Amino acid sequence: MEIKTEQDWKDIVHRCFRCGYCKFTHEFSDYNCPSYKKHLFETYSTGGRLWLIYGIISGEIPWSQGVANVIYACSTCGNCTENCRFEKFNDFLVDIIEAARAEAVANGFCPEKQKALIERIENQTMFNPYGELNSDNDDLKKEYNLPDEAEWVYFIGCTSNYRQKNLRDATLRFLKKTNIDFTLIDEHCCCSPVMRTGQINSVKDFINYNINQINKTGAKKIITSCAGCYRTLKKDWLKYGFDYGFQVFHTVELVKKLLDDGKIKFNSEYNKTVTYHDPCHLGRHMNLYEIPREVYKSIPGIDFKEMKRNRENAWCCGAGGGVKIGYPEWSLEISKERLDEAKLTGASVISSVCPFCRTNLTDANNKYNMGFEVIDLVEILDELELEISD
Amino acid sequence: MNKDDILTQLEDIVGKDFATNRSEDLYIYSQDPGASLPRKVDFVVMPSSTEEVQKIVRIANQERIPIVSMGGGLTLSGLIIPVKGGIILDMKRMNRIIEINQFSQYALIEAGVTTGQILSHLNENYPHLQPPIPDAPPSATVAGNTLIHGSGYLSQRYGGHGSMINGLEVVLANGEVCKLGSCALSDYWFDRGPIPDFIGLFTSAFGTMGVITKLSVQLFPKPKMRDIIFGLLNDPKDIPDLLLKITATGYAEDILLGMQDKPEWMKGYVFVMTYITGDSEEDIDRQSKVLKRIYRKTNARFMNAPEKMKNLYLDKPIFAAGAADFRKGGGFEYVGAFMPLEKIPDAYEKGAEVARKYGISPTLGSRLIGGVHTIVMFFSYSFNRANALDMENARSALHETNQLALDLGGIPWKAELEGQKLILNQIDPSYTKLMKTIRTALDPNGIMNPGNWEVD
Ligand SMILES: Cc1cc2nc3c(=O)[nH]c(=O)nc-3n(C[C@H](O)[C@H](O)[C@H](O)COP(=O)(O)OP(=O)(O)OC[C@H]3O[C@@H](n4cnc5c(N)ncnc54)[C@H](O)[C@@H]3O)c2cc1C
Ligand code: SF4
Ligand code: SF4
Repeated sequence: MEIKTEQDWKDIVHRCFRCGYCKFTHEFSDYNCPSYKKHLFETYSTGGRLWLIYGIISGEIPWSQGVANVIYACSTCGNCTENCRFEKFNDFLVDIIEAARAEAVANGFCPEKQKALIERIENQTMFNPYGELNSDNDDLKKEYNLPDEAEWVYFIGCTSNYRQKNLRDATLRFLKKTNIDFTLIDEHCCCSPVMRTGQINSVKDFINYNINQINKTGAKKIITSCAGCYRTLKKDWLKYGFDYGFQVFHTVELVKKLLDDGKIKFNSEYNKTVTYHDPCHLGRHMNLYEIPREVYKSIPGIDFKEMKRNRENAWCCGAGGGVKIGYPEWSLEISKERLDEAKLTGASVISSVCPFCRTNLTDANNKYNMGFEVIDLVEILDELELEISD
Repeated sequence: MNKDDILTQLEDIVGKDFATNRSEDLYIYSQDPGASLPRKVDFVVMPSSTEEVQKIVRIANQERIPIVSMGGGLTLSGLIIPVKGGIILDMKRMNRIIEINQFSQYALIEAGVTTGQILSHLNENYPHLQPPIPDAPPSATVAGNTLIHGSGYLSQRYGGHGSMINGLEVVLANGEVCKLGSCALSDYWFDRGPIPDFIGLFTSAFGTMGVITKLSVQLFPKPKMRDIIFGLLNDPKDIPDLLLKITATGYAEDILLGMQDKPEWMKGYVFVMTYITGDSEEDIDRQSKVLKRIYRKTNARFMNAPEKMKNLYLDKPIFAAGAADFRKGGGFEYVGAFMPLEKIPDAYEKGAEVARKYGISPTLGSRLIGGVHTIVMFFSYSFNRANALDMENARSALHETNQLALDLGGIPWKAELEGQKLILNQIDPSYTKLMKTIRTALDPNGIMNPGNWEVD
């Protein structure tokens, strides 16, 4: 669900009672809002944020850098949407926070560090939030011998294309090995980072551009290995009014389908103890919890362990919502907590299905010397021998 | 000392991250989810130990700065909004569960432990024990709740939560620490006495006597099974007879009554929920038959509630915050009032009149505390926070209801400032005199939540 008009969210924000269910895990064992757990002042609870937003709307308080900072100190992890008990309100909590960020931007209160995202994305040589020169993906197309037109488009996503190339390449190899008829486009950012941080002025142009690129290939199916792109294409592009004519899948969904249809079989073992981190953008935002688990569990030799907080209760990796760029130290602290939790399972591998989670968990793993192997599911699959049948 | 110097001193005590006077923080702490108007706050501080509390209190005492202790801040009656500015002592970093004693069945905890935390801790580690907690949201603290004479699903059977405090560690206004209860002389925090009982001084005192840093609260065995016998009464006049008969069986764990105009099917009835517990289906069946017979004989109809509804209410504690969403406006406050059983029918009838007078759909309820010895009545008013008139209306209704409770021989519970004034107007002057004497002795500079229970 999403909030349709600007007025809608302003009409409901005061419904928050500041009761605080949203701070906790389901069973109240711990605070599960990373922002609240860090700062502890009520201001940084979801309710605190919503009351500040209402204070702004009602004119009780003016915009200030302080208020904006609170509104930005949220990883948009969606724990609050899961635990707030007010139906037809809880779905909108992250939307409201993002909408308020757009107001902060409009009023000149976007924090400096987050501004870099829009500056880089709008830079005509980049179109990505990492400040890298745009890759039109032609070289990859040649390397993998990809056609101009195909049934599927692999939407790589900026994080995989510029920061997690191993994940990208593992995905490309998987798609090739499994004989998927796919191609690549000269993609520009899906706009997740700027949507999450309220810098939305040019979002429609970007979506339009990407949809045109996809349409040129004739593809009716999109695959992405990024949880953030998945949410953005499948949810936000529609929210921005683009009624595109293709279906969007996460790689893990394709893997599951191929397994179910008997089209792939694993002919080797992965003899490691693995725990799975639910990416917020795939789990709480898109309700996809079981498919990744089923895929992991189908891998021969794997010893799969759950962390205490899993599925709807999962602790965020700390990268999302502009937190990694805006509050880099805190972002890693959040990841560290996830790694600490992973340690308790006895796993040597922490795996996920999102390049951004992978990045942040890896950074924390290195910074705090946690000794994990941090790896994406597709990279695990890349290490296995696959038997393909038609 | 100027404000900057005070902030620096507070930061030196608790660390820079845990003391604030940023305007956005003060804005949030200047209000609660009830109908009280916002009031000024100067600082919010989060201590992590008794020693830090002592240091903060000493500075406050020296500088004559009011101190307001806060748990979850969920009483709704504005009790944690300072009346005369000052420091809010947000206790949530003092969240250690120090001991669960399985023999004497108590939990020794710091004052910031939330009801959600203790519940999940016991569920995970001591599944045979249950804590006395209210139906309030899980961020309510055990300290905040017991200190205001709270009640919950164990209160009918075991008494009010205030009486379940075995011991307290308190920081007094001069910064000294004092232990009250058996812990004053024993390693075991198992009882309040048999020594002069000063714990009562700190309950329903709203932080005016000192800052509680640790407490011991009783725990109870968890039953194997729980069930609810739902009933409908046509006439509130039958309530006392029904409750006397139910409590006489000794079966009930909790008894809740409700009367509301919405949803439509509830209009005109008093809704009765008797919770029973047992070791086996047969045990539950036997009790249930007896109770159904009692319902029939006292003009109450047994109601065969749908499984879904039953499960909703069997979830303990109940999700009571739903009541705050009746108007979809984020505002809710209720007059809770401790009432004598014989006045309950009048309370229902007259409470509904007050609500209707203010154009509010009547939503009334009650719970038994310690059998029929006390009935706590709830006169609930949900309102739209975005509508100033609606809030004003709720405040007027609350005020009139406080007076109604007093007129009926009851006492408003966790009363907001206006309610406290009504109580003080009616209370025996010797009571206020004694209160003043004690307070002046303990807190000569009047730093402990001044403005609450204010006596001239
Ligand atoms: C939806 C809803 C349902 C509720 N249902 C119930 C119910 O079923 N039963 C019930 O009893 N209550 C109920 N309440 C009322 C109230 O929320 C609870 O009683 C709650 O437990 C109060 O705890 P708190 O931590 O929020 O206290 P606070 O509001 O933080 O504090 C309460 C009072 O105690 C003082 N205090 C707090 N901590 C200290 C300390 N360490 N030292 C000295 N003084 C201190 C405060 O100054 C204040 O005066 C409900 C409230 C809501 C919103
Ligand atoms: S967001 Fe929902 S759960 Fe959180 S405080 Fe507001 S109403 Fe309560
Ligand atoms: S989205 Fe996550 S970080 Fe943001 S307020 Fe909700 S629970 Fe907290």
